[in-house]
Amino acid sequence: MIEYEEKTDEELVEIIRSVDRELFSVIIDRYEKKLFRYAFNLIKNELKASDIVQEAFIKSFINLKGFDTKKKFSSWIYRIVHNEAMNSVKKYRKEVPILDDMDFQSNENIEKDFEKKEISEEVVQCMDQLPLMYAEPLALYYFEDKTYDEISDILHIPPGTVAIRIKRSKIIMKKICQTKR
Amino acid sequence: MSNEEIKIKDAVMEKIRHDEIKMRPTIYYIGGSILMLVGLVASVVLSVFLVSLVQFSLRSHGPMGQYRLDQLLGSFPWWTIPVAVVGLVAGVIILRRYEVVYKHNAWLVVSGFILSVLLAGILINLTGLDNIWLKRGPMRGMLRNNSQTQTFEDFRRR
Repeated sequence: MIEYEEKTDEELVEIIRSVDRELFSVIIDRYEKKLFRYAFNLIKNELKASDIVQEAFIKSFINLKGFDTKKKFSSWIYRIVHNEAMNSVKKYRKEVPILDDMDFQSNENIEKDFEKKEISEEVVQCMDQLPLMYAEPLALYYFEDKTYDEISDILHIPPGTVAIRIKRSKIIMKKICQTKR
Repeated sequence: MSNEEIKIKDAVMEKIRHDEIKMRPTIYYIGGSILMLVGLVASVVLSVFLVSLVQFSLRSHGPMGQYRLDQLLGSFPWWTIPVAVVGLVAGVIILRRYEVVYKHNAWLVVSGFILSVLLAGILINLTGLDNIWLKRGPMRGMLRNNSQTQTFEDFRRR
């Protein structure tokens, strides 16, 4: 199995589809942690996040022949997790309401915090209160290292909207963090 | 590696090994796409005819109005209704299952498509573009051959 470690996700998918389905375990190894972290950021519940990731792997295996190998596998599997998470959120409806009265003044501090990758416990707590529509692109950008284009593919929103949501989310977070103090 | 991670990997691989989950065959996706395409084509034909029928019936007064309306109803492609409904519904169901990526967008795409065809038909009529095309332009031949106006003009000439 070591020789397959060098292969890209898309090459691996081709092999799994036509030759050896056992290699799906390599895909699971590559994505399990990342997807769990992503799902947990959306759901805030370890057990549910774990169920979502497991269900996403099962769905991705069943639909593997429907995946276009010219596209990025990571965006595809993240999208499946996103769909599963949204279904779960709808089921348990605990979404934080969008805070309309927030003032959108620019502030660089939060951005610097992220850029330094020194995400304090406080920042994580503030992020928990961020509405999902802002928290999700922010988590994908800073925690999962996704580009705007990849986030656009995962969330099915234009790259420009991704940029706006990330910018706004930082401002809203700043406000939330200030209120907490 | 945590216990939770091992549990996910083992659970998924166990299902694969014991054939509890299987990959859907390629034909499934081809079938879904074909059904969707057939449904969309049928819905375009249906929408275009529906728009012209409604508009025609709104201005069907005057000489031979009832005759022209009957002609239009007689040539209405009724087959497009079941084909459009079956094609679109089956296509969307299949696509929703296999293309999890488009799970939340399939119906939106289809309704947006139908709505835009209807709007385009109404706009063409309101702006009088169909009359312009009927008299000149690259669409002239096709429109004259297929329009009810042609039938009415032929009738008048006789």
